[in-house]
Amino acid sequence: MINIWNGVIFLIITIAVYTVTKRIYRKYSNPFTLPIFLTSGFFIILLGFSDLSYQSYMLGGQWIDLFLGPIVVALALPLYRQLDLIKKYARTIFIGIFAGSIIGIVTGIASAKMLGFEDWIIQSVAAKSVTTPVALSITDTAGGNLSFAAVFVMLAGISGAMFGPVIVRLLRIQHPVARGIGIGTASHAIGTSKALELGELDGAVSALSMTISAVVVSFLVPLFLSLL
Amino acid sequence: MKYVKIILQISVLFLFYYMGEAIQSAFSLFIPGSIIGMLLFFALLTFKLIRVEWVADGIDLLIKDMPIFFVPVTVGVVQYLDFFYGKGSLMIPLVMLSTFLIIGISGWVTSLLLKKEVDAHD
Repeated sequence: MINIWNGVIFLIITIAVYTVTKRIYRKYSNPFTLPIFLTSGFFIILLGFSDLSYQSYMLGGQWIDLFLGPIVVALALPLYRQLDLIKKYARTIFIGIFAGSIIGIVTGIASAKMLGFEDWIIQSVAAKSVTTPVALSITDTAGGNLSFAAVFVMLAGISGAMFGPVIVRLLRIQHPVARGIGIGTASHAIGTSKALELGELDGAVSALSMTISAVVVSFLVPLFLSLL
Repeated sequence: MKYVKIILQISVLFLFYYMGEAIQSAFSLFIPGSIIGMLLFFALLTFKLIRVEWVADGIDLLIKDMPIFFVPVTVGVVQYLDFFYGKGSLMIPLVMLSTFLIIGISGWVTSLLLKKEVDAHD
């Protein structure tokens, strides 16, 4: 009974902190005020500097975790809504996303392997370029650590959002479709909100790239990991 | 009534998720069940067997606040903080570099293809 109440309390605090950080983000939008970054940071500091254990936090957190799989299914709806845009640039979109996805997986796996990291780290970084729920599903199937995967995904998102616009400018990538595909394939939803600042088409293409690349990467990661 | 509708719409996602998981384990596929469920749901939307307006409100609500669902699993890293004090910190520049390469190469390949298309039309 006490466990249930602890769980409910943690659940309420999580929702409360998230709601506050959403307000903060609306006022001061930048990659380090993202609600996922601030809210997770809040609880990491809270648990890190108190006697509260992650296990006790998860008494509430486990209810939230139940939604991770179904949220992947939800991504079909925004993808469906963009069907016209996908059809318009179909070939270009798929080749561009495919190229980036392979590069991301190979450089992630190979460099971690070369630095001598253990297999479970390699399995956790392989899907870092895709949106969190899908990366978690892929990592779970691959045998990696979900918390590490979530951190790597966040890092890919934040760094891509911060430096993506600079990279496309330096490489003189000027077409909104090309910019959107690059940023969406590398940095999923966090990158997409930045791509939207570059332009409406950038943002739309980034959003569809994030979903298509998620599907592509979920097929490719098991293949590349089996080569290890 | 509105809440009942939203709960039912979100239940549809659970239904497809569990179907995807069942298909994955039945055929021992290497693709996650959630992705199979998503592709199935996408196919039914595309073939108009499921209409967007039947499911949209609940799904849009969930997507709008999607990041909150990643909080517990991300917080789990608190159990491994030592990792990032040592050699593990190398993973940070590694992930960043790999991310920059994706942006550069995806973007560059795409712009080459787009230019070709324009040339072909000329």
